[in-house]
Amino acid sequence: MKNFKLLLITVAFLVAACSENEEPADTNGSLKIEFDNVVGSANLQLNSTNQPYTNSLGETFNVTWLTYYISNIKLKRADGSYYIDPVVNDGSKGYYLIDEADAASQVLTLQNIPPGEYTELTFTVGVDANQVTQGAQVGVLDPAKGLFWSWNSGYIFFAIEGIAAASTQPENVFQYHVGGYKLISGNANLVNNLRDVTLSFNGDNPIVNGSKTPEVHLLMDVLKAFNGPGSTVTFTANASRHSPVACVDIANNVQAAFVVDHIH
Amino acid sequence: MKLFCGCFCVWALTIVGCTTDVEPIKDRYAFEVPANFPVPHYTFQNNPVTADGFELGRILFYDGMLSRDGNISCSSCHQQHVAFADPLHRLSIGVDERVGTRNAPAIQNIAFKKFFFWDGGVNHVDFVPIAAILNPLEMDESLASVVAKLKADEKYRTRFEAAFKTDEINSQRMLHALAQFMNMMVSANSRYDRYIRNEGEQLSASELRGLAAFRHKCASCHATDLFTDDDFRNNGLDASFEKDTGRERITEFAGDRGKFKVPSLRNVALTKPYMHDGRFKTLEEVLNHYQSGVKDSETLDPILYSNGVLGIAMTEQERTDILSFLHTLTDESFIRDKRFSQPPN
Repeated sequence: MKNFKLLLITVAFLVAACSENEEPADTNGSLKIEFDNVVGSANLQLNSTNQPYTNSLGETFNVTWLTYYISNIKLKRADGSYYIDPVVNDGSKGYYLIDEADAASQVLTLQNIPPGEYTELTFTVGVDANQVTQGAQVGVLDPAKGLFWSWNSGYIFFAIEGIAAASTQPENVFQYHVGGYKLISGNANLVNNLRDVTLSFNGDNPIVNGSKTPEVHLLMDVLKAFNGPGSTVTFTANASRHSPVACVDIANNVQAAFVVDHIH
Repeated sequence: MKLFCGCFCVWALTIVGCTTDVEPIKDRYAFEVPANFPVPHYTFQNNPVTADGFELGRILFYDGMLSRDGNISCSSCHQQHVAFADPLHRLSIGVDERVGTRNAPAIQNIAFKKFFFWDGGVNHVDFVPIAAILNPLEMDESLASVVAKLKADEKYRTRFEAAFKTDEINSQRMLHALAQFMNMMVSANSRYDRYIRNEGEQLSASELRGLAAFRHKCASCHATDLFTDDDFRNNGLDASFEKDTGRERITEFAGDRGKFKVPSLRNVALTKPYMHDGRFKTLEEVLNHYQSGVKDSETLDPILYSNGVLGIAMTEQERTDILSFLHTLTDESFIRDKRFSQPPN
């Protein structure tokens, strides 16, 4: 029995070795995910001197800062199983910071993905409690990046700031810092603003293998972040939000602000 | 080489075997859990204590470089001779003499705690220094700037290399070094500890009566041998909490208004002034509060309002005995431990 197993492993190994040589299409490959931030039908341009964008309430605004964390990426295969992007407990892998001011940050490359057809993408907007409770992190989770709430341990998951004429804040700014993940046993009142986003590829399924790196092009629409299942956000009130409870509605909007635009 | 190691171990064992009657020299840098303590909460698997890491943390703890103007170090508000509390100031004093909003608490046994700061907003030892560094009323500095200053300093580059076997300095390594230093601040050698662990210490009749009264009247909050339940409670200091909402600031839940972290009572005779805003100068004042000063409010802890009576009833004798007992929690060896003192230079 043991010998038979050994034989089987040897044969399997040989087969694998052969196919690697002859058919690179069956080896692990990569997949790129681009996060393209837009405002309705317009591409987002930071720091415009005027207020070129208009929310659903007719209030004009510009954007000076937009950044968010993406984590726990999962790809669903046609057979229903998942490829899970590995996470390392010091934050060095599996966490991504999308920063509108840094074009390179907007394209993630997932590597070493088993070959096959993938039908669906899932990710979390934010940084979960399990990671925060591991202590000081590195990489994009380095607290020196400035997205760590020092007074209320945890990360700002999604930050957007800009100027809107309707804002009553000094210099008409608006600041929405969405964070809050704490689940402490015995305290059901803590707000969890982590949101999972699941996007179907709608039949335009990327096929991953060693010779082809498909690219999934996602859009994140700022207008949807301001108007969605959570609420219709007006700049006229509460335009400076820096706590979990204050941003529940925006977290709910953001969850619905991502769409698959195309795949190539 | 392997063989040599094996030989060396056997040889070392033999030597140890011959000298069993001599007290073994404790590893100065080993984190040890006292027999009467619960299991630590800190994630040591991510950041084990090492000699070089600890010594780096010690230097950082005493270095004003962590603050914007170089004048405020951790030790400015956390002084060893009073169990790393601040005996002089009701509220913490930061850069430019800025006055903080709360009293600087003692630093001791923090590896065993889940929450830090009076409102418990910080939930990991690694993050404790971040709150002080970034607070404009304390150090008023950014982490990125601190890391840049460390990178520019030859002495620190050498120290980080020794501690973490890499010449890359980042905020995680700085925070890990500080955590190593502070995690080692274990206070568990008071007269009470030696009594409770049957190490030959005797308590006086008054101290023993005080211990019994304490267990009856205080230990529901100041629980376990950490002398805190690590929870948040409104102990009736005020009837309303506009000035400082306490735990509500973190949970954004009205039911937490006016609740503050239950502090450990270890070394309590040293850690004046008392309460989150340092309003009481003496332990007598603290007992006065519990006896007759408790104010009612929506979130007052029910323990302090039983049978329609506010506060904790105590006879004069019980007061005296409880005060005697509280002094047995003073740990002289902790406040004199040379490992935690200001490093030379």
